[in-house]
Formats: sequence, C-alpha cells, structure tokens
Amino acid sequence: MPKIPVAKLEPGMKLAKPVTAKNGMVMLGEGTELSETWIERIRDMDIASVLVEGPPVQTLPKEEAIANLEARFAKVESKPYMNLIKKITKEHIEGLYE
Amino acid sequence: MSNIDPKVLRHRVENINTLPTVPGVLKRLSGIIEKPRITLVEISSFISNDPALTTKILKMVNSAIYGFPGRIASVSHATMLLGLNVIKGLLLGVSVFELMQKAMNGLYEHSLACAIASRVIAQKKGLKEPEEISVAGLLHDIGKVILMLEFQKEYEAAMQEAQLKSISIFEAEKIQFNATHANVGSWLAEKWRFPRNLIEVIEFHHRPALAKNAPLETAIVHMADILVRARGFGFAGESLVPEVHPLAFELLNLSAADIKDVLKELEDNMESAEDIS
Repeated sequence: MPKIPVAKLEPGMKLAKPVTAKNGMVMLGEGTELSETWIERIRDMDIASVLVEGPPVQTLPKEEAIANLEARFAKVESKPYMNLIKKITKEHIEGLYE
Repeated sequence: MSNIDPKVLRHRVENINTLPTVPGVLKRLSGIIEKPRITLVEISSFISNDPALTTKILKMVNSAIYGFPGRIASVSHATMLLGLNVIKGLLLGVSVFELMQKAMNGLYEHSLACAIASRVIAQKKGLKEPEEISVAGLLHDIGKVILMLEFQKEYEAAMQEAQLKSISIFEAEKIQFNATHANVGSWLAEKWRFPRNLIEVIEFHHRPALAKNAPLETAIVHMADILVRARGFGFAGESLVPEVHPLAFELLNLSAADIKDVLKELEDNMESAEDIS
C-alpha cells in the first residue's frame, strides 16, 4: 500500500488504513473510496500523507536497490549462512519490482 | 583510544534520573517503572492520566507491530491483554521514540522493523508470548539512545570510525567506550526491573551464544536485527549487515520460505508502522 502525499490524492483511490485525527479518532474508515469532497476534508486536516490500496511504490530504481544490497553484504558474504540470507533478500527485493 | 572507565559509564547510566541531557518525561517514567512492586492498576492509571501517552500506547497496540485483529479502545484493556512486562516495555518504547529520532536518524525505523520481525519469527517458532519478543526487538538498541544523549561527541566519533574502517558500530563502541550499547541497554533494563529474559536479549543480541536463560528469544532478536538490516530498513549506526551467529541460525532453523515471510510482513507493515510516533 503506497503512502500518498495529501496533495497528490485523486478521486477513486481507496484508503488502505483509516485516516485518524491526532488523538487517534477515526475520521474516515479503511476501504473508503475517496471523492473530491473527502479529499478536500483530508486537506483541511493537519496530515501529510495517507495510505491507499495498491501495490507499494518503490522509491529507488531497482539497480540502485540491488547495488545497495551488495554493498551492505560485501564484508560478510563468505560467512556461514550469509550467502543464503543475501540470496533470499535479493529475491525478495527483486520481487518488489515485478 | 578510550578514556572512559566502564565503571564510571555504568554509574552514569544507572543514575539516568540525574543526567542533565535526559528529558523530564523519561526521568518521570524511569521513576515509575523501576518501582519494585508496581501493579498493573498503577501503571494503567499512570498512562491514563497522560492523554499524549494514552494516544501513543493505543496507536502502538492497534498497529501492525502487535497485529491484534480488533481495535483496543482503552488503556485498561491493553494492560490486561498484554501484561505488566509488555506494557512497561511499550511505555518505554513510545517514550523514547522521539529521542531515538533525534539521537540517530533511522534508529526509530530500525527498532520498529525489528519489533515486527521479532514477532513474526516468534510466531513461526510457536512461542507463547510473541508480544514479549516484539518488545525485546523494540528496545534492543535502547543503549544507543542513552550513549548518544549522554556522550554525543564520543558516539559520533564511534560512528565515524565505524564508517572509516568499515567495522560494525558494536566494534567501534568497544574502542570508544570499553563497553557497548548492549551493555548499556542491559544495565538500564536491570535498573528498570525488566524480566531476566528481556535483559538477556538486550545484552546478548550481538553474541547470542552467550544467552543462558533465553537462548531462543535472543536468537530471534539477533536474526530480526540481521534481516532488517539486510532489507535496508532504517539505520542503526552503520550500514553493514552483521554476520549471523551460526549457532543462532541453526537453533532457529528457519526455512527459506520462513525468511521470505518475515521480509514480506516487514514490507507490508513498515509504511503504516512509521506513522505511530
């Protein structure tokens, strides 16, 4: 579920998590389909972003994400089980881009 | 080379209530949770009397970290459901979040992610109290917060040294302080009268083979820490993945599919969890 900045909300998006006020009170429930009116109300609240339904949006390009992974593991790759952990994590990260 | 005597360090950490850099809220809290016979009712009313704290606790217990299906609407319900030790840990967790974020950018995400991963692994291993392991994951790096607050210059030097020599922050702390965040965290956990198991997890999460009472719990948080860093969530002082202790890995005996599930749960829950503070 991607986190969308309030300024970029569009009608038709569905809330993946309730929109709550600072004190925890639920203002709009999970699953609510956003209309122009709801979006306007959300803009009038003091919140930066909301979670909507849909596949997560990756902020890093895939190549960069994999390069970072390689760098994180560079020193421990030859240690017991670390190659396995790296392989599983790599598959997981690649899966995020499919 | 370090010129800090570990005994002096321990003394300063244990007298956290008098440290000038520690904010009032944590001092007040420390006074409450170190009481030898605090009851659930006392702790519940302490939370309820503080609206900001109440909100934070309720947000946390209703979040993905704990994964309770229904909404928990009151502090008394939460305390009854989770028990004294988990509530004490949570209270501390939500109170140090802001400090964490100030002390080290990314430590808060790292801790949240470890709490989630620890819970998932604990559930996979069929542990009876996954919430307790989750709290252990949440608090495992609390020593870093205190070191950073009280010895900011020295800690920044340790982080620089870790990056320069590409060693772990754990090793760099040893050079700088003759002690590590794991020691500091366990001194605090002892002072705050946390259960033996939680103290051990905090003390040995980098050296899980030394855990005598809670080897499985310690291995879980050790593994959670590694998986979270492998995936690259948050920041805990250096950006290298530490090596897994082979005995801990074998004790847990997680299959490739299990590890994938942990990563998937992290992925699903981190975005919503980051809004808790």
